[in-house]
Amino acid sequence: MIQISLKKLLLKKEFSVILSNINQALGAPISIQDRGGNLLWGEVSNSEFNKYPVTVEKEIIGWVVGDEKASTIAQLLSYLANEELQKKILARETLDKYKEINLLYNISEKFTACLVLKEVAKLAIEEATKIIKSTSASAMLLSEKTGNLEIIAACGKEYHHKTILLPGEGIAGNIFLTGIAEIVNDVESDPRFVRGANQVKSLICAPLKTQDAVLGILTISNEELVNYTAHDLKLFTAVASQAASAIENALLHENKLKEERIKSNLERYIPAQVVQAILHSKGYISLAPANKNISILFSDIRNFTTKCEELAPEAIVEYLNEYLTNMVEVIFEQGGTVNKFVGDMIVAMFGAPSTLVDNERRAIETAIRMQNRIKNISVPWIRKNFITGIGLSSGEVVVGNIGSPQHMDYTAIGDKVNIASRLQSIAKGEQILITQSIYEATENLFEFKEFGTIQLKGKKEAIKVFEVVY
Amino acid sequence: MSKTILIVDDEPHIRLLLEQTLEDLEDEGVEILTASNGEDALEIIKTQKPDLVFLDVMMPKMNGFEVCKTVKNDLVMPDIYIIMLTAKGQEFDKQKGNEVGADLYMTKPFDPDEVMEKSIKILGFSTSN
Repeated sequence: MIQISLKKLLLKKEFSVILSNINQALGAPISIQDRGGNLLWGEVSNSEFNKYPVTVEKEIIGWVVGDEKASTIAQLLSYLANEELQKKILARETLDKYKEINLLYNISEKFTACLVLKEVAKLAIEEATKIIKSTSASAMLLSEKTGNLEIIAACGKEYHHKTILLPGEGIAGNIFLTGIAEIVNDVESDPRFVRGANQVKSLICAPLKTQDAVLGILTISNEELVNYTAHDLKLFTAVASQAASAIENALLHENKLKEERIKSNLERYIPAQVVQAILHSKGYISLAPANKNISILFSDIRNFTTKCEELAPEAIVEYLNEYLTNMVEVIFEQGGTVNKFVGDMIVAMFGAPSTLVDNERRAIETAIRMQNRIKNISVPWIRKNFITGIGLSSGEVVVGNIGSPQHMDYTAIGDKVNIASRLQSIAKGEQILITQSIYEATENLFEFKEFGTIQLKGKKEAIKVFEVVY
Repeated sequence: MSKTILIVDDEPHIRLLLEQTLEDLEDEGVEILTASNGEDALEIIKTQKPDLVFLDVMMPKMNGFEVCKTVKNDLVMPDIYIIMLTAKGQEFDKQKGNEVGADLYMTKPFDPDEVMEKSIKILGFSTSN
């Protein structure tokens, strides 16, 4: 409530002069007292004089003491005090508007500079509580993982940070679904109200809405009954909509970071271009297990354990890393995917996750280059001791993420995998052994010689094996 | 000794807003005066010797820099604390501000809380008031 002080009114110099002039013109001495009877202006009055009240909106703010002519002065003062009141009301409203403009101005500036989700949310509710009368505020976002609305920022004493809502649950949950901001001035009589630990009597709730989705909700509330106005709602909605785009920005930024992390991790297993293909595939490339035509490569160092006996464990690790780094580079160059390392053994695939039409050719090309690369590694000991045998097979296998939710391997399963493994195990140092399917696909591209037939466990017929001449 | 603040701005709404912002100080006995141009401001400064002046930079006829310079140099009133008000986005010439002896500058739209806070400090009131 705005108070008008008679004292302040009388302090105005122009007014004081006018009052003196009137007083002289009237020819009767008057004095002015405040509400409590303290003298503000004029001479100490004679008790015989009358007292005439000065009022603002029917409330007495002081007295004019004198003869009946003093009543005119009292009326004049009342009129001026009322004028002053109107002026102050306007000035205060203007200042409030000014603060609001400032708020929106500042908030958009601060939002632009902020990319961290929680900070954006915190900023939104802090700024809103500065300007809208409230005892607490919160920002909830829909969690993609759980499907619940979860608090990501809150202020005020009543909020329990663990509050979780289902969309459609409670007032906030409902407003999340409708996407339309609302004032609920009497929360307890609202049928959607679900009593929680929070003491809330009145609230405003606005959706965090972007062009195509409601991301969450912003709530501002009071533990006492207050009368939120349409103006408060408008202001709060403006804050919410700015917050929503800032939150969307922050989410995009977070996803971008996550993608970067996934990318850098993925790139250890599969070539960069395959990672790009997966990330930009919009669902065409799936990591879920499926039947696929691929080529499989097994490569292993002959007599690795024996050779390692002469070295310190640290040296073995160092040489092995050097060797594997070189081999992976060759595999990636040809578009292959490293399935796994088992000690010194390398398992690679061609044609998964992204399909390669010439996967057989790439597999052989890789095998030959692997053999040549070893000969060029700068460490003499590796060149001398790491002699590998390679086995290749091709055909339909089940390939995809296989394992438990805690640990998945992107791997291939099937007969063809076992065959490649088997060929590798019988290959001598520097030898590349392949199945008939690989041979038939690349017959005109490389030189081969027949290796013979081998019998596989559990299979009636022996299979034909070829050796790559390089 | 009662304190005096002078608000100088050619825009009436800025005067009104600053006046309203600082209204509570009147209860502490602070007198708030206003002027709408540089010449009137100098007149008031000469006679009333305000403790604090909010001075708009961009004013017709006599701009804020000139007023500030006159007060600090010609009138030799270095103790009058002068806060220059400058519009946001319009680059404030800090060097010129220093040359003419301005004590502080603020951008418009000003933050009412900041204005009040600074005024309390400059006038030497404790914040509990």
